[in-house]
Amino acid sequence: MSWALIAGGSKGIGFSIAEALAKRKYNLVLVSRNMAELQSAKNTLENRFNIKAEIFECDLSSDKSAELIFVWCSTKNLEVNILCNAAGLGGSKDFLDLPIEDLRRMIRTNLESPTALILSFIPILKKNAPSYILNVGSLAGFSPIPSKSVYSSTKSAILFFSFSLRQLLKSDDISVSCLCPGPVFTKPSIEKETINQLGRAGKKMAVKVSVVGELAVQGMLDHKMIIVPGKFSSLISYLLRIVPNRLLSHIFYSHQKKNTDNRNVNQTIQ
Amino acid sequence: MKYLIILFLICFISTTSYSQQDSTHVSDSTRPYALVAGGSKGIGYGIAEALAKRGYNLILIARHMDTLMAAKNKLESVYPIHVEILAIDLSYDTAAGEIAKWCTDHHIHLKILCNVAGLGGANDYLSFPLDSLRYMVRLNIESCMALSLTLLPLLEKNAPSYILNVASMAGFAPIPVKNMYSATKSAVVFFSYSLRYQLKDKNISVSCLCPGPVFTKPEIVKDTKAKLGWFGMKMALDPGTVGEVAVKKTLKKKLIIVPGTLAKISSDLIRFFPRRWVVNLYGSAGKKKTS
Repeated sequence: MSWALIAGGSKGIGFSIAEALAKRKYNLVLVSRNMAELQSAKNTLENRFNIKAEIFECDLSSDKSAELIFVWCSTKNLEVNILCNAAGLGGSKDFLDLPIEDLRRMIRTNLESPTALILSFIPILKKNAPSYILNVGSLAGFSPIPSKSVYSSTKSAILFFSFSLRQLLKSDDISVSCLCPGPVFTKPSIEKETINQLGRAGKKMAVKVSVVGELAVQGMLDHKMIIVPGKFSSLISYLLRIVPNRLLSHIFYSHQKKNTDNRNVNQTIQ
Repeated sequence: MKYLIILFLICFISTTSYSQQDSTHVSDSTRPYALVAGGSKGIGYGIAEALAKRGYNLILIARHMDTLMAAKNKLESVYPIHVEILAIDLSYDTAAGEIAKWCTDHHIHLKILCNVAGLGGANDYLSFPLDSLRYMVRLNIESCMALSLTLLPLLEKNAPSYILNVASMAGFAPIPVKNMYSATKSAVVFFSYSLRYQLKDKNISVSCLCPGPVFTKPEIVKDTKAKLGWFGMKMALDPGTVGEVAVKKTLKKKLIIVPGTLAKISSDLIRFFPRRWVVNLYGSAGKKKTS
């Protein structure tokens, strides 16, 4: 029986990836911070699909998370051949608005823990080859966004990391993919913020969570390197890659500034 | 006669106090300060020297007291400036807070922050222990962001001021054999772009130095020769030149700084071509060396 490990798999994009994998009869290992959410995810998945799901509670921003997860999986003898890193922190608050501890948590959850987790699991993945690694990046990883500076930095790093890792693991029959979704409305706050910031284009770019998971798993099993769900997002992603970063960050910044100015005006009127 | 004596005394006192001032450089502490994190050797030292040449007082931060001491002695003997040194490991969570506190306690007139400290090397992922991987993320990304954040109030107070982050040409496209290094440096490049716009209104200019190969250690010379051949040797610069160019362009408020003409052209090409091509190219260059 082959197992798929999903870090951050209890909700959001991680959960939809888990669902898409369960549909394909993979057994699942779900890792996240919240035991209650893990338990309910396990119940839903085991009831709907005829698979086994193991759960492990662990804060992925903590120092020894990779070691803990690896040891737990080895003692249970789980033959993992798919590893998905879906845990990530983001949000509308970023550099200048957040205390340094929160920024560190973001860097560690988004970059440090996935790289450490993959490194710990490479021996197992090699043994069970052909295997797959799926990292979750973001469209924000294609160009610097001033209002989300730390978030887009970490996502760019994970994108770079995935590119390099794919080359490094080619000869071991381990395929590396990176999912780079545009806005995904996993929480009501994200929907509000997207419409606020990107307007109609943002709404058009947004893709349903369940669709993102399905496309991600499909792309991963097809050995795709970069997976951008949604036609409109995909088009935008090409634009982001062609247009110089300098121009993009300028556009994002002036757009952001116009928005905040408008909001301030609205507030003073009210 | 009485007046004459008094006049004489006044003259004497004023001249002695003046000469005293001159000999101990008291007036120097009013000069603006530049903080160089990782300034005891390599590119950091090159930057420190270029700043000293322009009359900035320096705060150098590094892990080892002996290299710091040597840098301080060398700089103070050549240039009429003050050099303060702090032996701190920048990868620690507490480092940024400590440094900011030290600066405010000592009423430092901070005008320039240079984040130079970084760790890199070949084959830095598959054969790396987990702790080194974490150390690299913390030193290359976290310390740069943390210092920029904690020192921001001081820089804002002394505006116009400057932040210089040191990334690398590896931050423009992924290099498989330097996996973690190029990933962390890409984060620094992205961060610098964003920060520049975030701090525009505060009159703080943000620059990012992205050098090609710099011969700071003998291993690097060997590594560059093996991987990039004559092209790499031609592209390479010494840390002194890199520091000079970096400081000059930082003060001119340039965003991306690539020293050297050949390195500049290569970096433009790397940014222009699709990433997949560049990765494949780098990948085959890496293989040439290992086989």
